[in-house]
Amino acid sequence: MATLKVSNLHVSVNDEEDKKSKEILKGVNLEMHTGETHAIMGPNGTGKSTLSETIMGNPNYHITKGSIELDGQDLSTMTVDQRARAGLFLAMQYPVEIKGITNLEFIRTAVNVTRNEQGPLPIKKFLDKLKENLGILNMSDKMTERYLNEGFSGGEKKRNEILQMMMIKPKFAILDEIDSGLDIDALQVVAKGVNHMLSPNFGVLMITHYQRLLNYIHPDQVHVMMDGRIVKTGDASLAE
Amino acid sequence: MNGIKHAVLDPKFVSAAKFDQEPDWLSEMRNQAFEKSQDLPLPVFAKVNYSSWPLLEFSTKKQADLEIPKSVKDQLADYTFVNLGNRNIKNELANFLSQGVILCSMADAIKNYGDLVQKYLYQFAIDPNEDRLTAINLALMNNGTFLYVPDNVQLKDPIKLLTIQDSRQEEMFIDHTLIVAGKNSRFNVFQRTETIGDIANPAHLTAEIIADQDSHVQYNSLDCLGPKTYAYFNRKGHLKEDARIDWAMGIFNNGSTIADFDSDLYGVGSHTEMQTVAISTGRQTQGLDTQVTNYGRHTEGNILQIGVLLDSSTLIFNGIGKIIHGAHGSKAQQENRILMLSPKAHGDANPILLIDENDVIAGHAASVGQINKKQLYYLMSRGLSKEVAQRLVVRGFLGVVLSNVPIPAVREQMVAMIERKLQNDPESK
Ligand SMILES: Nc1ncnc2c1ncn2[C@@H]1O[C@H](COP(=O)(O)OP(=O)(O)O)[C@@H](O)[C@H]1O
Ligand SMILES: [Mg+2]
Repeated sequence: MATLKVSNLHVSVNDEEDKKSKEILKGVNLEMHTGETHAIMGPNGTGKSTLSETIMGNPNYHITKGSIELDGQDLSTMTVDQRARAGLFLAMQYPVEIKGITNLEFIRTAVNVTRNEQGPLPIKKFLDKLKENLGILNMSDKMTERYLNEGFSGGEKKRNEILQMMMIKPKFAILDEIDSGLDIDALQVVAKGVNHMLSPNFGVLMITHYQRLLNYIHPDQVHVMMDGRIVKTGDASLAE
Repeated sequence: MNGIKHAVLDPKFVSAAKFDQEPDWLSEMRNQAFEKSQDLPLPVFAKVNYSSWPLLEFSTKKQADLEIPKSVKDQLADYTFVNLGNRNIKNELANFLSQGVILCSMADAIKNYGDLVQKYLYQFAIDPNEDRLTAINLALMNNGTFLYVPDNVQLKDPIKLLTIQDSRQEEMFIDHTLIVAGKNSRFNVFQRTETIGDIANPAHLTAEIIADQDSHVQYNSLDCLGPKTYAYFNRKGHLKEDARIDWAMGIFNNGSTIADFDSDLYGVGSHTEMQTVAISTGRQTQGLDTQVTNYGRHTEGNILQIGVLLDSSTLIFNGIGKIIHGAHGSKAQQENRILMLSPKAHGDANPILLIDENDVIAGHAASVGQINKKQLYYLMSRGLSKEVAQRLVVRGFLGVVLSNVPIPAVREQMVAMIERKLQNDPESK
């Protein structure tokens, strides 16, 4: 069992306009283990994405106090890619588009770099796995030959985030508003992908401001976030 | 080392360049061009100062034929036609013979197909009177390739040319490729250039493509000349009615380069796509001008130049779109994009539109920028190290042109070349 632990986390960003440092997270505490499903809910602008990005290691967010630990190891000195290889995954609210790199090539590279000690996954095995996951997510083969997220619709981008998660198989995945902009059908597909991953070796943290998603992926714990703090924690009934 | 600006050429170079049993008409052309060259100005590459480059530091030493090195032998199987210095060492013309295709060295072409060569050589595409370097290239041409595809011949397999500068000794290298596409012909040419040996010889590489009515030529090139080679390139297409030339060129030379790529859209309805990718590394300077001139009505020319800079290198793209009065309904678009991976590099993208006609659609886009941090972060968040992520972003940036290279093996070669250039980069580590 792995543990992700956020203690008294304070995070600031430099405002793009006045360049002044602004405190967004004001003492967040959160502990989760593999095998668990957590949800963070809260209104827009309370710092949910800031928390996800800080855990992942986005250099725009500065920890001023507190810590993030993965199995007791402090993450603050680790770069984004090191954290990813240690088992963290963030399905981003706004995935970027990269022209000229195919989705397939990117996913294959990502799968292989996160498998360090086991060596690269043989291509046949990789393709079989990819095919299986595409099937679960109702995605066509063609999506993997297209350039990474380039020209993807909002829903396609979200599915592609889940596809990457399913291929990379992290210990902990943070899904930042994976449900936004999805119709019910797409939402069900995405939920199917996430539920398929659930196991004692996988923990998921869903960030959403709609209760809807939680009808399809049932959380063990729900946290309510307001103004940079988690103000309430409870079981699934808290979301209602 | 004598800069080109003050170089005075000895006429002995003209006699040294002559082919065996050269006909008078050619010698006459050379002599005239040589005389004229003294008065013609050097070509201008905006924002590139090459006046100190030893581009005319030729040698007339009598050369020994050196043996073919293993590195070259190993590549022979991949090409249809290979010139090592001024020797032709492979020709698989037999595969195309039944269709009347001619493929031979310039020396053989002059000997065996003199009339045909005379009809096209420096007649339609490159004008020897344009500047000093075009004149010198005609006067001193000492090797080359001739490809003639007759009317209505459509070749499925690409013709793959390997042109090697042999710098294992002092050697003059002034290479001219002449490609004639007959009416309604259709084919694909790939030309790779490289240098063996490490003597500092300049290289001059020119190519003319004459595309007759309704022909469609795809010309792909991959230039990888050596670090000690100062190079001048001039590739020019002449397009007749409804002809089309698609150019996709990878400029991956290791030394300093000036290059002039042009298409003249004479025929009504002719069309060209001119795409270039370039990487500059080390202290290298590369200045690339790509020009499309719309003469005919309803012609279309699109330019796409994409480049990456590392270290303290320089890369200048000048994109020139010129529309002549009377070319109604023409289109000229261009895009020049430069990515700088080092703060010490110097990159510039200059679109130049010269339009003398109202009824046209023309436009341009240009950018010079650093690597996109959000893209880098996204890739790294999936476990890719910074170096791998950066290489992927760069490859993606260049990939827009690469994906238009129709021969998979060529595309792979280009990708391998890019990887190699990026991996040798001390800055990105
Ligand atoms: N990179 C950033 N630069 C400047 N301000 C930011 C940045 N990211 C978030 N913020 C600010 O932090 C606050 C919280 O944003 P965010 O974490 O995106 O909230 P949520 O995801 O809960 O909607 C907002 O006021 C937002 O403007
Ligand atoms: Mg958010």
